[in-house]
Amino acid sequence: MKKFLSALACLALLTPAAPALAHFQIIYTPEMAMKEGGKIDLALVFSHPFDAGHTMDMGEPEQFFVIRSRGENPPQKTDLLKTLKPITWTSLTNSGKAWESNYAVRGGDYIFCLIPQPYYEPEEEAYIKQNTKLIVNVGGEPGAWMEPVGLPAEIVPLNKPYDRWTGNVFQGKVLLHGKPVPGAEIEIEYLNHEPLLDKKAFAKKAAVEAPQEAFALQTIFADDNGIFTFGIPKAGWWGFAALDLDPEYTYKGKKCSRDAVIWMKAVDMQ
Amino acid sequence: MRQRKKSAIKKLGYGTVLVFFLFAGQAWAHTPLCSCYDNGDGTITCEGGFSDGSSASGVKMRVEKQDGAVLLEGQMNATSEFTFNKPEEDYKVVFDGGEGHRIEINSKDILE
Repeated sequence: MKKFLSALACLALLTPAAPALAHFQIIYTPEMAMKEGGKIDLALVFSHPFDAGHTMDMGEPEQFFVIRSRGENPPQKTDLLKTLKPITWTSLTNSGKAWESNYAVRGGDYIFCLIPQPYYEPEEEAYIKQNTKLIVNVGGEPGAWMEPVGLPAEIVPLNKPYDRWTGNVFQGKVLLHGKPVPGAEIEIEYLNHEPLLDKKAFAKKAAVEAPQEAFALQTIFADDNGIFTFGIPKAGWWGFAALDLDPEYTYKGKKCSRDAVIWMKAVDMQ
Repeated sequence: MRQRKKSAIKKLGYGTVLVFFLFAGQAWAHTPLCSCYDNGDGTITCEGGFSDGSSASGVKMRVEKQDGAVLLEGQMNATSEFTFNKPEEDYKVVFDGGEGHRIEINSKDILE
């Protein structure tokens, strides 16, 4: 029995631990809160942000648009699908198909919204579709950052995702077809390797090290009103993915996890 | 958004309102914001507002020579924008939201 156990232990050591990291749809631009307007570069990458691991091939997105709002002016939507150019994004372990774009911004809030083509995950024999929002502000004048965009699955922020100090909390409300999802499961990852837009790759250097897998991918749940709260321990980008919000949802006859993702950035007080 | 603010104010008790009056300067402080952009077609558009999201519609706008002589005057429109023909000489744009709410932008800082 002892021999069997030690053999098993050896086997366990030899077998790499299955990473418990989550898929995250990323919309990245270097600064979420800009002082001045101008042209900004954007990258759309489907990857594992904490370890900059396996980057999945993205198909052509179903929708990519921006909603601009400034002060009390009515929000205005602009389709950005035709601005997308295919790129190859390099992670620490592979490269995958991704997209890039650029867009000229002036003052106010810009809510970039992506509805990707569902991604087929062979191991799970199921699809993943992560509707993703990135909210950028120029000049400090707020707009309609707190309003739902109307995506089928969506996280609506209850704090400006671009004005968080390190140590603040970030709150969001998880919606499916505009209605709160009580008890929604939310995975959280830190963008631990800086995305380098000029190199179309993640930086090799990690900002932090997780003492154990549970710290790399954190899981929390929304309350009965679909609201979640997260205390922000470190400056940088944090991604929130509310998972499988519509358990009956299918794509091409297979199960499809309908997820909602939002990104926020915290800055140190200094 | 405006409605939301009103309903929040309705819920406040008189005591709170009094406190707000005492500290009105701080409690209602909002920073004026104005940025101007060269539209590339011989016109300049300035966008104004306040850091609490309130509108700058109706705020007086002036375009002045560097010595203060007024080149043209107007006001922020319904969407808090002010567009004017780009003067040939150096100029500055003045967003005049009253005392403490005034912003000056030099033409050299206005980019496309």
